[in-house]
Amino acid sequence: MTERSERHDRVFWSSLFSSRQDGIRWWWIAGALIVSAVPLLLAPGQLTTFVLLGLSAMAVVGLSLLMGYAGQVSLGQASFTAIGAYTSGLLALHHTPPLLALLAAPIVAALAAAGVGVPILRLRGHQLAFATLALQLILLSVLGDADWAGGAVGLQGLPYLSIGGFELDADLDYAYLVLAGVLLVSLIAHRLVRSRVGRGLRALATGETAAEASGVPVGAYRLLVFAVSAAFAGLAGGIYSFFLGYLAPGSFPVLLSIEYVVMAVVGGLGSIGGALLGAALITVVVQLLTTLATQPGMPSYAPSVLSYAVYALLLIAVVLFVPKGIVPTLRRSS
Amino acid sequence: MTAVPALLTVTGATRRFGGVHALRDVDLDVAPGETHAVIGPNGAGKSTLFKLIGGQLVATAGTIGYDGQRIDRLAPHRRARRGIAIAFQDSPVFGGMTVTENVMVGAHAVTRAGPVAAVLGLPRHRREEAEIRELAARALDRAGLTAWADRPADALPLGQQRALQVARALCGGPRLLLLDEPASGLRGPERSALAGLIEQLRGEGLSILLVEHDVAFVARLADRVTVLDLGRVIARGTFAEIRTDPAVITAYLGGPP
Ligand SMILES: Nc1ncnc2c1ncn2[C@@H]1O[C@H](COP(=O)(O)OP(=O)(O)O)[C@@H](O)[C@H]1O
Ligand SMILES: [Mg+2]
Repeated sequence: MTERSERHDRVFWSSLFSSRQDGIRWWWIAGALIVSAVPLLLAPGQLTTFVLLGLSAMAVVGLSLLMGYAGQVSLGQASFTAIGAYTSGLLALHHTPPLLALLAAPIVAALAAAGVGVPILRLRGHQLAFATLALQLILLSVLGDADWAGGAVGLQGLPYLSIGGFELDADLDYAYLVLAGVLLVSLIAHRLVRSRVGRGLRALATGETAAEASGVPVGAYRLLVFAVSAAFAGLAGGIYSFFLGYLAPGSFPVLLSIEYVVMAVVGGLGSIGGALLGAALITVVVQLLTTLATQPGMPSYAPSVLSYAVYALLLIAVVLFVPKGIVPTLRRSS
Repeated sequence: MTAVPALLTVTGATRRFGGVHALRDVDLDVAPGETHAVIGPNGAGKSTLFKLIGGQLVATAGTIGYDGQRIDRLAPHRRARRGIAIAFQDSPVFGGMTVTENVMVGAHAVTRAGPVAAVLGLPRHRREEAEIRELAARALDRAGLTAWADRPADALPLGQQRALQVARALCGGPRLLLLDEPASGLRGPERSALAGLIEQLRGEGLSILLVEHDVAFVARLADRVTVLDLGRVIARGTFAEIRTDPAVITAYLGGPP
């Protein structure tokens, strides 16, 4: 590297990270190293939880971008997880190489979001939330009735994913695949937010009129974040389909969309670290509750009632005590 | 004035809000390099006129021509791309961003790098980022905000927030700059610094449309003045001409003299 380009690089990096953010960057690297050792220490059942956590985290990073930067709430984000999962599943069952089937998942999810986003993003606030919720209900009923999607039974007998001749047939393989996925979406989100486009997005969150008057194409950017958030959820869905090997409409309930929202809000909107922390926290809490609710003597509806109750309580607690979410609050007070 | 075609031509601009006529049949033009002031009492329709030009509001009737073409159907961000920049009277700064980042948003109109270039970290993106930083640094310097560059914008005192709007508008290197009461909330020295900046910009050949209440400010800067009252043009001319105009005196004093 020449001296000049080295200096350019340094200027570039220091422009991305002010001195305080330098510290944050080291946190990131340390965190990633620690987390990447975790799968080795987990029992088989816990590995499944770890994978599901990572998949949620991928979707939540996208949702947090959407909610934090485009100022839009999606109550149907799991639609895109479902679209990604079914895309991978259907393609793989129709003899597409599994890796290609996986790559198609985020693309189809993003295209779907772009398609529905044009009319939906004209709506504001609660209207968008309801529209996305309606979208998911429609999608679930279509999938439940469609013969080509296996109806209510769904798709079964998916092959394992294989990458360059290496077949991912153990939970541990998927744990690392998911980690790579989380890293990828976090990096994409980070670079996007720090770029010219990201500045436009952050600007329109608090000053739409002035942003637009500065040349920010507000509608196009909103659509872009919506599509990106859908792509992240879609990629998570694609990995999910290969991990479990079967899919059904019931795997993507509205409760999953709500879980995503709670994760994003608890961690802190517009914060990548917040999205990851929120996903981890909620997953662990839900896991503990499920263990509790499936004790002998508990009614069969206990798990879902308990999770709804906990989501509600957590949302209320966050709104009351840490309205910006955990990570942004910690960052501000440090 | 007839030899050079106007940069901006507003013809018959009319805007109603329900029963209220905010603007009625307003004609106005800005020649290249001209500083044109729009004055009038509160509620005269000055901000509405600016929003019609910027595209934030749609006219009930009338046309807006810019650089030889009609622009009244263009979205605001497209007008910005053609070189129209506005510092609004009542717009907040972009929250959660530093002063520099706020100003960098203003460069959007003259830059192109998209999301893919940014995510892949392409050289094109890096080059443009460096360029944007430079543009922003220059705009901050001109607006006297360099000392505040790394502060959170929402923590700025009001005067600096006004200057920040001007810096953001300048950052994209506009051809036509619209300033809606840029000096309101500024104290003496800040006010004369702003007047100095506008004078400098005029010297560089920038076309400026300016709303300002401060008479001394207008007298010093404006080549021509258009006076609005209750949505209508009641006078136009040089400052010396309009200051003695009976209609203007009536409008400002309220009632017949
Ligand atoms: N969005 C709006 N809705 C309804 N009335 C408006 C709106 N904007 C401006 N008006 C009215 O239009 C008139 C002109 O307002 P404005 O252009 O802000 O005046 P100025 O900037 O000269 O003080 C006022 O009577 C104001 O109440
Ligand atoms: Mg006004």
